[in-house]
Amino acid sequence: MNEGAYVQEIFGIPFNISNDLPGLLAAIIVFFTMFWLSRKIQLKPTGRQNVLEWIIDFTNSIIKSTMPNKEGSQFGLLIFTLFSFIFVSNQLGLMLQVNVNNVAYIKSPTADAMTTMTLAFMVLLFAHFLGVKKFGFKGYIKNTYFSPIPFLLPISILEEFTNFLTLALRLYGNIYSGEVLLKLIYEFGKSFGLISFIPAIPLELIWQAFSVFIGSIQAYVFVTLTMVYISQKIEKE
Amino acid sequence: MGTDFILGAVATSVKWGDMLFYLVLFIVLIALLKHFAWGPVNEMMDKRANKIANDIDSAEDARQKAEELAEKRQSALKESHVEASQIIERAKKNGEQQKNIIVENAHGEAQSFKETAKQDIARERQDALEGVKNDVAELSLEIASKVISKNLQLDDQKALIDSYIEGLGKQNEVK
Repeated sequence: MNEGAYVQEIFGIPFNISNDLPGLLAAIIVFFTMFWLSRKIQLKPTGRQNVLEWIIDFTNSIIKSTMPNKEGSQFGLLIFTLFSFIFVSNQLGLMLQVNVNNVAYIKSPTADAMTTMTLAFMVLLFAHFLGVKKFGFKGYIKNTYFSPIPFLLPISILEEFTNFLTLALRLYGNIYSGEVLLKLIYEFGKSFGLISFIPAIPLELIWQAFSVFIGSIQAYVFVTLTMVYISQKIEKE
Repeated sequence: MGTDFILGAVATSVKWGDMLFYLVLFIVLIALLKHFAWGPVNEMMDKRANKIANDIDSAEDARQKAEELAEKRQSALKESHVEASQIIERAKKNGEQQKNIIVENAHGEAQSFKETAKQDIARERQDALEGVKNDVAELSLEIASKVISKNLQLDDQKALIDSYIEGLGKQNEVK
């Protein structure tokens, strides 16, 4: 369960291939699913287009819950992509795990803190950027760190770091723990032959189903919090 | 395994290439989705929303127009009722007038007929009277000539008177 990583250095930059490969796979799955769903776009939606529009409506409703419609519509694409990517990433490791020589090549990309931290870092950086863009640098500092009352400045600064860490580690922890338990049940199934193999099947099944549920919830939570952080930065308190 | 368990990738050294990889991956994914899925679908959804709004507006317009039309028709119907009654009224009046004229004409004609008839009668009478006058004159002349020619004897006189009366009767018969 604690696989070694296949690290490749390209131009002196260390790439963890056993983390990058599943990310690429998840992105490819997302792209081709959406590509397949968006063929034959019509005014009167049918079949696959309905599914895609349902997903878009769902992500748009997440935005709408934190922001007025007019302002929020610009984040539609970001939230749509973020949600579908994290959702697929969360489910990927539940369906497919490829280990060669104790090195993982396919798992959930979000079961790695590096991935979730990158995503969290990206959206929070984006949120701060939007804050600066909207209020100017002074207004951004004032809005983010000195309101509602100036003496909460240390807490406000701390909050920015905790926001980042909680956003990243919540997702990572949930998915990673799900995979760890899946592998534990697998090990347990192997350990005593047929006696343990048979009870391990329903256990694995149940935990997999639960992980699917957790993965969906975590994807939803991640994009919801993303929108909350963005709206905190671009709205005056 | 301690730190490795918490932040698996961080344990040995930070593979910061992953960060670049995921940033690029995500941005590329956004761009691709925008071009192939999000863009067209969103455009179509906007178009649909517009179309629905337009349809609602045009339906409202059509309803108003229909209402106006119905009102117009109603008023036209009322007007036509009034007009019809006016026409009937006028026709009645015309008929009455024509009747009066015809009756008056008939009266006049009858009057003139009567008049001419009266005149005719009067003339006829006049003519008759004149005829009688002439006859009387002739008769008196005849009588006078007969008296003169027959020497007025008593016996003869009786015969003369008889012949005269006879002649008178004959003349009357002729007339």
